[in-house]
Amino acid sequence: MKKAAFWTEERRAYLILVLPAVIIYWAVMAFPTIFSFILSLTNYNGGPVFGNPDIKIVGFTHYVKMFNDKYFWISLKNNGLIMAVSLFGQIPLGFLFAYVLHRKLIKFGDFFQTIIYLPAVISTIVIGRLWQSFFSPYGPFTEFMRRFNPTWENELFFDPNLAILPVLFVILWMYTGTYLIIFLANLQKIDPALIEAARIDGATEWQVLTKITLPALSGVIVTTAILAISGSLKSFDLLFAMTGGNPARRTSVLALYMYDNAFRGAPKYPLANAISVFMVLLSLVLIVLVRITESRFGGREE
Amino acid sequence: MTTTRKKTQKSDFHPLLRIMVYLIVGIFTILTLYPLYWLAISSLKTTTEFQLNMIGWPQNPTFRNYPSAWRLANFNTLFLNSLFFTIISTGAIIFLSLMAGFAFAKIPSKFTWLLHGSFVIGILLTLQSIMVPLFLMVNSVGLYNTRLGVLIPYIGMGLPMAIYLCTEFIKSIPDSVVESARIDGASYLRIFLAIVVPMAKPVAITLAILNVAGVWNEFMLINILVSSDALRTLPVGILKFSGPLASDYGRQFAALMIGMIPMVVFYLIFRKQITEGVSAGAVKG
Repeated sequence: MKKAAFWTEERRAYLILVLPAVIIYWAVMAFPTIFSFILSLTNYNGGPVFGNPDIKIVGFTHYVKMFNDKYFWISLKNNGLIMAVSLFGQIPLGFLFAYVLHRKLIKFGDFFQTIIYLPAVISTIVIGRLWQSFFSPYGPFTEFMRRFNPTWENELFFDPNLAILPVLFVILWMYTGTYLIIFLANLQKIDPALIEAARIDGATEWQVLTKITLPALSGVIVTTAILAISGSLKSFDLLFAMTGGNPARRTSVLALYMYDNAFRGAPKYPLANAISVFMVLLSLVLIVLVRITESRFGGREE
Repeated sequence: MTTTRKKTQKSDFHPLLRIMVYLIVGIFTILTLYPLYWLAISSLKTTTEFQLNMIGWPQNPTFRNYPSAWRLANFNTLFLNSLFFTIISTGAIIFLSLMAGFAFAKIPSKFTWLLHGSFVIGILLTLQSIMVPLFLMVNSVGLYNTRLGVLIPYIGMGLPMAIYLCTEFIKSIPDSVVESARIDGASYLRIFLAIVVPMAKPVAITLAILNVAGVWNEFMLINILVSSDALRTLPVGILKFSGPLASDYGRQFAALMIGMIPMVVFYLIFRKQITEGVSAGAVKG
């Protein structure tokens, strides 16, 4: 009797509707996150996970190993560079393009928008292979450089110090369109009467931008910053296809560093799990930092 | 009135600044169009010709590379697999997230904040950071190298954003719609199927656009979750040409073109919806 009263139609419906999504999502996203933390503290390196007597708790040794690995720091630095390109390249450029298109300051806005966003829909693998060929010694980039300097030798993908530059360029090129679209959609939400009125009162274009448009977009700017930060930690496919992390693993990023430890050569799953945990924590910390900046900065704006 | 406004705008937008803006936008456009043009014409050259003539128009344009690349990479299988994973996982994501979104939005429960909140956190969780634990898990439950072992992660990774968008959308349906159906004695499941699903077409289209592009282009997971040729998708198949075959330029460029064209066509057809979907997806996390 009591049980029947507990399982009302409402509760049953809720469970039936929610459970499939919750189970799949928790199994795929939430559980591995916790799972990797536990495995990172053990010596588990393949074989059955459950009921395996050889698995021992080894504490934080894999984290120590990770922090002592120079490739970890190279990868982290490259993630930082990608983040910088996103924050200080893609976002300002995306905003500039959106602003110019929104105020109709140039002609053929629709055409430019279509083309600038195009790279974002093409498979990253295709993009990576295409640009790898483009910048390689047999690609157009070499030909162009030779027009200016016939003896120029293309060392782009062989010089450990230079190899990251083409990658950063492609990342800037690929995702600026995404920010263009986000900013444009939000610019269109601003009441045109507001700008109209300011213009009639004699405000300059610059004043409209700094006093009306940018403050109205402060929330969106935070959103794009969060997107840029989490996006930069997502870098994997492009590097996998374009450089494979080489030369000498100088173009590695954290995701690729983790992949290398798990799948290239002898598997080092505990180390890979430690990297995984580090990446999750890093993204959380960065996003919280953006949020704190937002609440301070946003408070002053309003 | 519009004309006067335009005039004032133009007058204080310095001509030099305008030229600079045109320049930057123009450079970006060329940087997109030229490599694609170069790829297209290079795919019409034989490897021998390409080595002699890397950037010029092909002397004897030939489509020979296409059938040969198609056979070598087995594009029949690649396309079928890409279609299979894209259609099934997109369909499942839309249906599951409409179900859960309806429950979160319209059925009161004290668990909603926790469950819905866990999905919102998932929007920010980067899948890349958990690829190794996910692989270990799929492996230990015996789903490695199976279609199900790819589909479940694909559905799971699409759910956070989808559920967020569905919940927001269904919240915007007036409560009175659900309440009057309740008074008429309809069960929640019936309300979901008969009222909510038909009304949710706009959000379903947004989700379809976002997920089709996402799953079609997905590489990282399928690369580690599957090893047999029979289960591979387009991005994995295209990378075949990057290894020992990398200097087989003609066929490699043809394969890149084959891999690229479907998404470009998709984009040109659904440009407006894709643009709307992307800006809807860029919600405050």
